[in-house]
Amino acid sequence: MKLTRGGFAYPGTTLGYKTGTWRIQHPEHAHWRAPCHAACPAGEDPQAYLAALDEGNPRDAWEILIKVNPLPAITGRVCPHPCEAGCNRGQYDEPLAIHSIERHLGDEAIAHQWLYPVNKPSEKAPHVAVVGAGPAGLSAAYHLVRQGIQVTIFDEMSEPGGTLFTIPDYRLPRQVVRSEIERLLDTGITLQSNHKLGRNIHLQELQQDYAAIFLGPGVMKSREWSVDGVTPNDLHEGLHLLKRWSDVSSVPDMKSAAVIGGGNTAIDIARILKRNGVDTHIVIHSSLPDPKNPSEDDMRAIPREIEQALEEGVQIHDHHGIKRLILRGEKLTGIEIVRMRKLRNAAGRLHRVAFEGTESILHVDQVIPAIGQVIEATGMENLLNGSSWFKVNEWGQIAGKDNIYAGGDAIEGNGGTVTEAIGNGRIAAEAIAANLNKNELPTFNKAEPISFTSLNMEYFEPAPRVEEAILPVEERVGEAEIESGLTGREAAREANRCFACGNCLRCDNCWTLCPDSAVLKTDEVAFDGSYYVFDYDYCKGCGLCASECPTGYIRMLDE
Amino acid sequence: MKTNKRAVTADMLVHLRKNQPRFEGIESGHRACLGCGEALAARLVTEAAGPEVMIANATGCLEIFTTPWPESAWRLPWMHSLFENTGAIAAGMEAALKAQGKPTKVLAFGGDGATFDIGFQALSGMLERGHNVLYVCFDNEAYMNTGIQRSSSTPHAAMTTTSPPGSERMGKRHLKKNILTIVAAHQIPYAATTSVAYASDLRKKVRRAMEIEGPTFLQIHSPCPLGWGHDSAHSIKVARLAVQTGLFPVIELERSELIGSMPIRHPRPVTDYLKLQQRFRHLFNKDDARAVEELAHIQALADHNIKHYCLDGEGMDALDSDGADTVRRGGMRWA
Ligand SMILES: Cc1cc2nc3c(=O)[nH]c(=O)nc-3n(C[C@H](O)[C@H](O)[C@H](O)COP(=O)(O)OP(=O)(O)OC[C@H]3O[C@@H](n4cnc5c(N)ncnc54)[C@H](O)[C@@H]3O)c2cc1C
Ligand SMILES: Cc1ncc(C[n+]2csc(CCOP(=O)(O)OP(=O)(O)O)c2C)c(N)n1
Ligand code: SF4
Ligand code: SF4
Ligand code: SF4
Ligand code: SF4
Ligand SMILES: [Mg+2]
Repeated sequence: MKLTRGGFAYPGTTLGYKTGTWRIQHPEHAHWRAPCHAACPAGEDPQAYLAALDEGNPRDAWEILIKVNPLPAITGRVCPHPCEAGCNRGQYDEPLAIHSIERHLGDEAIAHQWLYPVNKPSEKAPHVAVVGAGPAGLSAAYHLVRQGIQVTIFDEMSEPGGTLFTIPDYRLPRQVVRSEIERLLDTGITLQSNHKLGRNIHLQELQQDYAAIFLGPGVMKSREWSVDGVTPNDLHEGLHLLKRWSDVSSVPDMKSAAVIGGGNTAIDIARILKRNGVDTHIVIHSSLPDPKNPSEDDMRAIPREIEQALEEGVQIHDHHGIKRLILRGEKLTGIEIVRMRKLRNAAGRLHRVAFEGTESILHVDQVIPAIGQVIEATGMENLLNGSSWFKVNEWGQIAGKDNIYAGGDAIEGNGGTVTEAIGNGRIAAEAIAANLNKNELPTFNKAEPISFTSLNMEYFEPAPRVEEAILPVEERVGEAEIESGLTGREAAREANRCFACGNCLRCDNCWTLCPDSAVLKTDEVAFDGSYYVFDYDYCKGCGLCASECPTGYIRMLDE
Repeated sequence: MKTNKRAVTADMLVHLRKNQPRFEGIESGHRACLGCGEALAARLVTEAAGPEVMIANATGCLEIFTTPWPESAWRLPWMHSLFENTGAIAAGMEAALKAQGKPTKVLAFGGDGATFDIGFQALSGMLERGHNVLYVCFDNEAYMNTGIQRSSSTPHAAMTTTSPPGSERMGKRHLKKNILTIVAAHQIPYAATTSVAYASDLRKKVRRAMEIEGPTFLQIHSPCPLGWGHDSAHSIKVARLAVQTGLFPVIELERSELIGSMPIRHPRPVTDYLKLQQRFRHLFNKDDARAVEELAHIQALADHNIKHYCLDGEGMDALDSDGADTVRRGGMRWA
């Protein structure tokens, strides 16, 4: 037989000798979820869409993203992005700008009117009722439809979106909300607007007519507020003012105001007032976010928003509480505030302590409470049993109610974000679908995400994080959006910074560096999710590939 | 733990192995130790050189572990020379091919023992006579195949079986021979160092040498887990640190002039390199003043290299000691 040089010959080569028998441990390609994934309240796996974007496929990236979160243009703007706090790259230079990419993909989908790749459920499929067209209800509906289940959403308002429309335009333009929701509903979701549970429809009817119910009514009622039972006669309450602003773009006449509260509502109304020329203060007993203080004491609002409010001239009196209203007749002329801290008492419980001798006066003609909202219970009293929130299990199922689920702001322990509402909706939809299709419930991945120390930093280079352009303070007037999105090129450059923690980025390291040529490259994704397979006949188990895998995708296991 | 490692069938593996998108001059099944840097280096050389070559290989680990009778790991015409005459054998092969008018390039492979010491005069003759041969020295800094005896390539203060640390000495007393300068002094067109830690650099240099008509020389730093006493998983890590500390300068000489070097972005302390290896463990006895002095000596050698070869980097450079191994999705960084 004549062999071409370099030709392949089995007989006589060392291939007849299986050095794999020497091995006491073997390498395996194994997906290990990234910390960005573990941290996302919606359940996104940013690594996966960053990879698609890095490969030059923005539409694929979007499709990966919306398998989990159907509202990326919205969350990309308003999510406090805990994914970035968790991002391993933060321990190297700066975390990935995940939220900017998320927004970019959502915006691209809007710009190109990409359709959600979802088939309309058949008319014979089971039918589920969703109450509330906020992010929780919309997410639940979308994920049910994705799994072939018919959905009708009932909402008391004339337009879907819920509290998303209360978030001011300078952070979340309403056209974005509308455009994303419109396309989402087009997947085959039926919307019954102007339908209020407890007025136009009743729980019992829904229970009779639908296979299951998902409740996402949010928290629509402002908490009662007074100082020792006293309120000024012209009291405006924060959420109400925000809604008025969103409807008619005006605020009541006032020169100065003290907003009470430290959540997003407080910050947003303060910024709106400031934009309307009002001298605006925020009084809040908790602390401005400060890495040196325990975060449990931080104001609840998103740190970035607090920062921008301060830039815009809102004065924040943190660690302060209101002690007394100073009234002339029933009209406010000022408030007395006092320094206070949350401290642990003898029993170890946090309680507020006001420090005598630290009182001061704020001369304001309005005090605006923004201390949080609670569920509007009408029609759902039986499910609440006197509680302020729904008590649900990890699937969102209301205790003792087989086919009733809830999610979003209305459930106990919820952090009050859009992303969490979306996550709740998805998880409940999975449980409902599993139930209706008589499938087993999916399992939660609770494993520890891959740590920074499991990556090999030799293979990465420092690269600055791409930042969205921010309007200078002087130009922040009216409703102009403050942060602008990334260009396609910027987004791709940022995606390229991702370490692909716990995933194969096809870098060829294992293939190139195995001294025994025991890593074989494949054309397509191999069974284990990488593009490489180990030839265990020859792998000696040296561990070199695992040590030089930049992303921790190779693990050594004992034979 | 449950494993799915058998999910690929034997047929699939054979098919894949036959269709790998690269040329491999050395097949699997060779008997090198786990994580052998020399096995990797040799495969990378053949990959870059391609199939149109013939090899003369000196006695040593590479020769032994690739040819356990009656098998061979080579997919190339390959000949075992004596330990001491690889240069002469390669020269003869080249002359014969030339006489036959064949374009095949001759490669000569030898360990550091075969190159720095025992085959040195044959190499010198080959260079001096201007044979069109690429001589590759797989430098693992000792006579490994016979059980780790010191060579003139063994670095200062390293422990080998013939340079043991003890009351008289702290490992090898003498310095590592500067073979590259000696080789380059033959005024050959190209002589360079490279390291298995930087596979792209290695392959680029092989291709460069392949294009040159005349004698060329490549010295490849190739960790030996057995002889250096490091974890087999750390062969690349150790080799990379040798470069990043300045102990193994990655340079190119043409006609004995320095024409290129891999800049070091952030020089690492030599102890980062030394502490991973058992052959230097006697240097980490803080109570032994001799050990402290030797560590300082080795650091001074690294500093001297950095200065002498102008290895100090200027900011970020895609081809410096930190940039040259940066990964790109889809394997696009490899050259
Ligand atoms: C001013 C402000 C700023 C905010 N900023 C941010 C931010 O930056 N980032 C962030 O993540 N989150 C922010 N949030 C919180 C976020 O808006 C909510 O967490 C989120 O909207 C909750 O979604 P949901 O679906 O649970 O409820 P909602 O969005 O409140 O939707 C509830 C829906 O249910 C309907 N509904 C209620 N009761 C009934 C009934 N009985 N019958 C029929 N329909 C009913 C309502 O009409 C509404 O459409 C902000 C909130 C406010 C008020
Ligand atoms: C003339 C001669 N002396 C000694 C030997 C024994 N011998 C075989 S391999 C070897 C060591 C080779 O060392 P090196 O060239 O550095 O290659 P390595 O094994 O380290 O890769 C020795 C000493 C021999 N084969 N021939
Ligand atoms: S580097 Fe990429 S994969 Fe890793 S945590 Fe950050 S975004 Fe996720
Ligand atoms: S580098 Fe090669 S021999 Fe070593 S463990 Fe990985 S596959 Fe096996
Ligand atoms: S070394 Fe690179 S190619 Fe190999 S598994 Fe890791 S990421 Fe994938
Ligand atoms: S002794 Fe060293 S050079 Fe020889 S085969 Fe083993 S690891 Fe490779
Ligand atoms: Mg040697």
